[in-house]
Amino acid sequence: MVAEETLVNDLKHKDSQARAFEVLVNTYKERLYWHIRRIVLNHDDADDILQNTFIKVYKNIDGFKGDSKLYSWMYRIATNESLTFLKQQSKKRGISNEELRQDLVENLQSDVYFEGDDIQLKLQEALATLPEKQKLVFNMKYFQEMKYEEISEILETSVGGLKASYHLAVKKIETYLKAD
Amino acid sequence: MKSKKKQQFKTPEGYFDNFHERLMGKIVEDSDSSLNIIPKNDGFTVPQEYFETVGTVISKKVKDTKTKVIPLYAFRKYAYAAAALAAVFLFVWGITFRSEPSFNDLAAAEIDSYFEESELNLTSYELAEVIALEDIELKDMVDTPYEEENILEYLDETVDALEDLNIDYDELE
Repeated sequence: MVAEETLVNDLKHKDSQARAFEVLVNTYKERLYWHIRRIVLNHDDADDILQNTFIKVYKNIDGFKGDSKLYSWMYRIATNESLTFLKQQSKKRGISNEELRQDLVENLQSDVYFEGDDIQLKLQEALATLPEKQKLVFNMKYFQEMKYEEISEILETSVGGLKASYHLAVKKIETYLKAD
Repeated sequence: MKSKKKQQFKTPEGYFDNFHERLMGKIVEDSDSSLNIIPKNDGFTVPQEYFETVGTVISKKVKDTKTKVIPLYAFRKYAYAAAALAAVFLFVWGITFRSEPSFNDLAAAEIDSYFEESELNLTSYELAEVIALEDIELKDMVDTPYEEENILEYLDETVDALEDLNIDYDELE
């Protein structure tokens, strides 16, 4: 794997830009896709947002100062793009954010790219009831197995706060799954 | 006496040392027991070979956005000439024609294509704010013109009993 500093430098120089961008996409495409997919749930939407995320990264790489790690910066762009997409959708359809989330979960039953059973569907229902931050933290910790320190850099929240969010999310999901 | 009362309770040695760590450990342990009932896989899948092809799609899109940027300096000399010509034209045109272009000067087809191609993202409430209800007719909403024949055909297919329509026949006569 290419060192991050070298990759950023290559991305900023015209001669090495194309090759470096290819390396960047191949390194992060899968991780970023799953991060986005767990927010928007639908494959086609996740695909669009993933492409937009990389295009934004490419266009703004000159403005990347290296204050945070490159992957944290990309995760932040992906998170913002996904949440903005959901906001636009709810505005377009004239429904609240909560109603939109319920709709997205209901659509999973007929989604060809969702092969979950009843318990996995119920997990998505439970996640749809969580506040945005708790849902993000749960997905990043539980499914993406990220370290608290990494999540902290992406979401710009203290590690202690993240641990509390994760614990609360787990408890709420457990209660939801155990109900009826 | 008071000081004696204070000493009635004792804590095990080193109880308060690392209290925070032990508490967090307990929370993690508590979460772990809950994690047993949460599925390890969330059931999402992707189309076959999606990750093998998406990189190429992204690179192509980036290339397309790059080619759209045309550096101005390459055309600078032409730009100067064009700007000079435009300035002369505007000066002459400004002297000869003083009238302002009106809304009617815009071709209806251009306006139609603008609305068709632009994503206005207006909600029904926002539309209702700008378009008065009196200005809208049913034919603005439907693609195919409604003839009496179509209406009768529709009623015939969808309404089981004509009485359901609750028509006051005396009024029609």
